Amino acid sequence: MRAFDYAAPSSVDEALRLTKPGSAFLAGGTTLVDLMKLDVLTPDHVIDVNRLPLNGIRLSDGHLRIGALERMSAVAAHPTVMVHFPVISRALLLSASGQLRNMASIGGNLLQRTRCDYFRDVTAPCNKRQPGSGCPAQTGVNRTHAILGSSSSCAATHASDVAVAFVALEAMVVVRGRGGDRIVPLEDFYLLPGNTPQVENQLGPDELIVEVRVPVSPLARQSTYLKIRDRQSYEFALTSVAVALSLRRGVVLDARIAAGGVGTKPWRLRAVEDALKGNPAMEKTFSDAAESAVDGARPLAQNAFKVTLLKRTIVRALIDVAGVR
Amino acid sequence: MRATPIGQPVDRVDGRIKVTGAAVYAADNKPAGLTYGYIVTSTIGRGVITGMDTAAALASPGVLAVYTPFNPLKLFAYVQNQNDESAPPLQDKEVRFHGQTIGFVVAETWEQARDAASLIRTTYQQQPPVTAFPGPPAAMEKADTDAEGPDTVLATGVASVAQAVAAGEVTFTASYSTPVQHHCAMEPHATVATWNGDHLTAYTVTQGAVLSVRRLSETLGVDAAKIHVISPHVGGGFGGKWGNWAQVPLACAAAKALGRPVKAVLTREQVFTLAGHRPLTVQNLKMACTADGKLTAITNDGITSRGFAGSWSESVANWTLTTYASPSIQVTKTIVPLNLGAATVMRAPGEANGSFALESAMDELAERLGLDPLEMRMKNYATFVPNTGKPWSSKHLDECYRRGAEEFGWSKRPKKVRATVDGDWLVGTGMGTATYGASRGLASIKVRLSADGTASVSGTAADLGTGQYTVFAILAADVLGIPVDRVRPELGDSTSPTAANAGGSNSTCTNGPAVQVAAKAVQTELVALAVTNPKSPFHGKDPAEVVYRDGSVSSGGLTMSFGTLLTTCDVGSVEAVGTSPRLVDPEHGFRSFGVHFCEVRVHRWTGEPRVTRWLSVMDAGTIINVKAARSQIQGAVVMGIGQALLEATEVDQGTGRFANGNLASYLVPVHADIPPIDVRFLDHPDPLISGLGAKGIGELGIVGVAGAIGNAVHHATGVRVRELPITLEKLLGS
Repeated sequence: MRAFDYAAPSSVDEALRLTKPGSAFLAGGTTLVDLMKLDVLTPDHVIDVNRLPLNGIRLSDGHLRIGALERMSAVAAHPTVMVHFPVISRALLLSASGQLRNMASIGGNLLQRTRCDYFRDVTAPCNKRQPGSGCPAQTGVNRTHAILGSSSSCAATHASDVAVAFVALEAMVVVRGRGGDRIVPLEDFYLLPGNTPQVENQLGPDELIVEVRVPVSPLARQSTYLKIRDRQSYEFALTSVAVALSLRRGVVLDARIAAGGVGTKPWRLRAVEDALKGNPAMEKTFSDAAESAVDGARPLAQNAFKVTLLKRTIVRALIDVAGVR
Repeated sequence: MRATPIGQPVDRVDGRIKVTGAAVYAADNKPAGLTYGYIVTSTIGRGVITGMDTAAALASPGVLAVYTPFNPLKLFAYVQNQNDESAPPLQDKEVRFHGQTIGFVVAETWEQARDAASLIRTTYQQQPPVTAFPGPPAAMEKADTDAEGPDTVLATGVASVAQAVAAGEVTFTASYSTPVQHHCAMEPHATVATWNGDHLTAYTVTQGAVLSVRRLSETLGVDAAKIHVISPHVGGGFGGKWGNWAQVPLACAAAKALGRPVKAVLTREQVFTLAGHRPLTVQNLKMACTADGKLTAITNDGITSRGFAGSWSESVANWTLTTYASPSIQVTKTIVPLNLGAATVMRAPGEANGSFALESAMDELAERLGLDPLEMRMKNYATFVPNTGKPWSSKHLDECYRRGAEEFGWSKRPKKVRATVDGDWLVGTGMGTATYGASRGLASIKVRLSADGTASVSGTAADLGTGQYTVFAILAADVLGIPVDRVRPELGDSTSPTAANAGGSNSTCTNGPAVQVAAKAVQTELVALAVTNPKSPFHGKDPAEVVYRDGSVSSGGLTMSFGTLLTTCDVGSVEAVGTSPRLVDPEHGFRSFGVHFCEVRVHRWTGEPRVTRWLSVMDAGTIINVKAARSQIQGAVVMGIGQALLEATEVDQGTGRFANGNLASYLVPVHADIPPIDVRFLDHPDPLISGLGAKGIGELGIVGVAGAIGNAVHHATGVRVRELPITLEKLLGS
């Protein structure tokens, strides 16, 4: 960790005014402080945003609105979220540990950095950390890496669970800059690595996520999040699936599906959704539909199993949420 | 007579101070004027350091010194092999592994030392590191490395073990492999060194204070009598704190050079590279048996890595020598040096990995023969030590099998694999045999009775969280006839009498008898005081007429507690040192035994294996504290579940880096992974190991765990996994 300046503004405008090259926002600190300790991030100026008025969880104008500074634990336990958006609550509860969930903010969660061990070790090359230095994960230890959205520059997965739930539910982030707010669908907010894996999202250096908005829908009420990992708690996903389903008389009317642990960003599975619609909610439908989940997959030496595992995770999650076999 | 506390469930005597944070660990010590050291590590896996620019570091705020191979602390060669690095740090410019010590920065604060360390610019002449075995497991038999000679037992009339295998009615061949694994003790390696003139006091993590004294004496060139090592509490060792790794000599030598106390604590990432690991192993196993399942020959060719920086490697095949009866057995060991940190002992070194292969193979062979796994083991029950033919000191493994099978419900186990499905989970059960060597070494213990009515028991032994403190208290309380809470055990101080180090499951069987001897001897001293001290009411009596019992001295109708007697005599305390000799019994084989039964569920869609039921039945001689002993076995089973399903240190082959050398990416089990673990002890004293009859339990519990889990996974799914850990991708095909 290197020495840095510290400021704790009390308004968003002030926080935005304080931004400059080499500055970083600090919310829960569960990513930033961690990576500063590892010298992966070395900001000169840390702007603590915890005093900003960015709290609140409420339903309004057909949306669930979550203030960016709400803690993961508070969102997970909120009655509205639990009843109307079980997939969000479940994705949060399957993340991290109790201590981390009490600290980490929703805005920060969406911006958390990858868990790629090459990114996190400054003695290794990494295009994301040091553009142009190379990506040892392509041929190295890559069991946990992405099979979707990766490039020869980067195969790091996006680590957030709740972002997967948000993308499935077509959530948006409200981003505030010096010129005002803009609303960006979360799916588009994240960028594919391409040749610039250091650019992970649309957020400008002088912008702050202030809110997450999730449209209320009947789908969201029948939703779940399934996370597959080696150990049963406190581990990032090998694969995960957020599923929201609308059924009538045993037929799938509508579906929203996104996957985690497999993509360089939360991965919406529209082709799977389309293949489900209008078909009977049964294992066969689910298995057939899941086949298209891995279109364009780019498996590496150690993570080819994720191709099969992702499809199986989708089927399992659909069986769970549909309540059928 | 008081009821004996031996074998009762006794709360840890050190429990309260540990859960309240009052227990002082090595890094908690802050002598006045303390400075902080930070170890600089190599960023290449093999090569030679050509230069280190330390100017910026030296100019950095608070920096007191920067030591490098170009400006080393003087350290003499290590003499005693402590299963760690072969040579002291900074004495040459060769890089043998990624993350090796190449510098040591000392500053006024830890942050200053760390920041200065990051300013050092090192140049290397790099070479490609050797970080893997030279071929696929099956091709490793003839690895061109420093192989040790075979250990061979041949049945009468058999010319070679190969011939014996070839002549088998049924033969079986398979290769089993295990990855690098790490101890991951909670407490990182820490040393705080402070000098007073030419006397050194070192607060350090250690599994034996005398090991640290010896190492420091050798490498610093200081008389051992001038070195005081203090290590009352150790936050987990598992073998990783047997050696005295780089922070020990560096902190002590720097403190001397700077004339200020120095603290050095490894970061978690440094613990992975600098403090040892369980090596890579492969076992190529060939077995032959009769059509009805009697083994006729076994060969196990074991391959183990070692680090170029160390000499230790696993005798991974040796467990095959002593477990099942077979007229012909041969094991070999091939050692492949790699550019990884020094390999070292890790809980049941050899046995934990060795049993994975043999316990898996016994099931594989049983399946081929249509035998129940337990029946297969009973058919090959070793009534005598398989490789020597000697009788056992005691062995009740058959009783463990019977009792375990009954309590677990083994007879209800379907013979076929994939026979039980519960919802979407495939359910299987498996078993594995546990055995671990037992021995009794030389130990001395001091017992002191004080005027306040308490007794202290001291020896250089270590409590790594094992319960050794409480063992001392129980045994002393038993012999002295006083409550356990009036005994104050004192461990981890090198100035105490020399007791057993915490290693090889040796502590209780070695130190226990010495505690008993000392607690008896101090009674004689007390009686001698009673009859000789003029202030004593027993003054002038014949010692033979004065009896010590239950904390009091009695004679002729007068009884006085030792506290009152000492107070009356105006004597603060009496003490005695008791010594229990090393056991030399070449006629018998000494081992602890046990069996694990488990249930594993594998999800039929996503393949993740989950352990859902566990029973261990252990035959480890006399159990001193059934509560702590149960914890020991449970902890070992937890570690074994990690070994079987989760733990693998991944080596980045290009660089020799441990790619997941941190506790976020190296997966140890969490609570959610662990089912209730039932543990039973037979509690049959071993009549030959000591009067106490206790054998070791520290390592026994992990042996056979991975095999039992692998067997249960196979029973659930029909898939046999011969490479640890058994992760879900290996089961997706099921």
